[in-house]
Amino acid sequence: MIGKIRRLVLDTLKPIEPSIIDIARQISELDGITAVNISISEVDHRVESAKITVEGDDIHYEDLLKLIQDLGGSIHSVDEVVAGKMIIDDAATLQD
Amino acid sequence: MPKFQLYNPLSQWVRKAKEYNAIADIGEIGRRYFAMNAFDGVLTIIGVLIGNMSAGVDSVRIVVTTGFTTCIAMGISGLWGSYLTESAERKRDMEELSRSMLVDQNNTRLGRASRFAAIIIAIIDGLAPLLAALIVLIPFFMAEIFPTIQSTYITALGISLLTLFGLGVFLGNISRENLIISGLKTIIAGIVSILIGLLL
Repeated sequence: MIGKIRRLVLDTLKPIEPSIIDIARQISELDGITAVNISISEVDHRVESAKITVEGDDIHYEDLLKLIQDLGGSIHSVDEVVAGKMIIDDAATLQD
Repeated sequence: MPKFQLYNPLSQWVRKAKEYNAIADIGEIGRRYFAMNAFDGVLTIIGVLIGNMSAGVDSVRIVVTTGFTTCIAMGISGLWGSYLTESAERKRDMEELSRSMLVDQNNTRLGRASRFAAIIIAIIDGLAPLLAALIVLIPFFMAEIFPTIQSTYITALGISLLTLFGLGVFLGNISRENLIISGLKTIIAGIVSILIGLLL
């Protein structure tokens, strides 16, 4: 049994079209995903940087990657991942 | 929960077409090409008819043959020409986007939408002048109901003006201006080409 991914935060680059509205709709239709949040951090001439946050019971990273690539986007980095039985945030430490 | 979906190729095709339309914005360009080329088609066929009329051609067969071959040539010209130009423009666009994204975009939905758009626009571009010109030629396909060839010519020219008016109304609908004025603007082009043709 493989652990289930419950949250992913991705730093992506995407063409201006399709819009984040379309992309959010399509990602939300993927199996295992319950919610998606996309925010634009930077807009360029033809492309924009988007932070995609997805939460769900069982996120299939490969399907998500395939969909984002099919929509013309590319994933620069996986900035956060939560897996397991529940979602936890990173713990605050004294150094913070 | 399992999803039960009725597999329907047509509805799937329509869904894909809608999606590609949203990405590649086919509607607007298609509309522009349709109006422009149908207009071209009608004016060309007016030229053919006036030419035949002035030259004293009184054989329906000759008018139908010259008219029909002109229609076909216009159709092929539209299909070929716009496919080549449209796909060249869109290829360049995709390449620029690929450079900005640092990822090849040809195998993405954008690339597929762009190729689909070039084909649809080429079909619109080919069919618009062909159909518009064929409409004008209708009286010649049923020439036996007209008493003289002159009346067939005049009816066909009348239909050409009506078609132009219809196109004007279509354009007026897009620009949301007065439909009658917009229709008259396109009719004037037809009348001018008829008059100049007759003067030659």
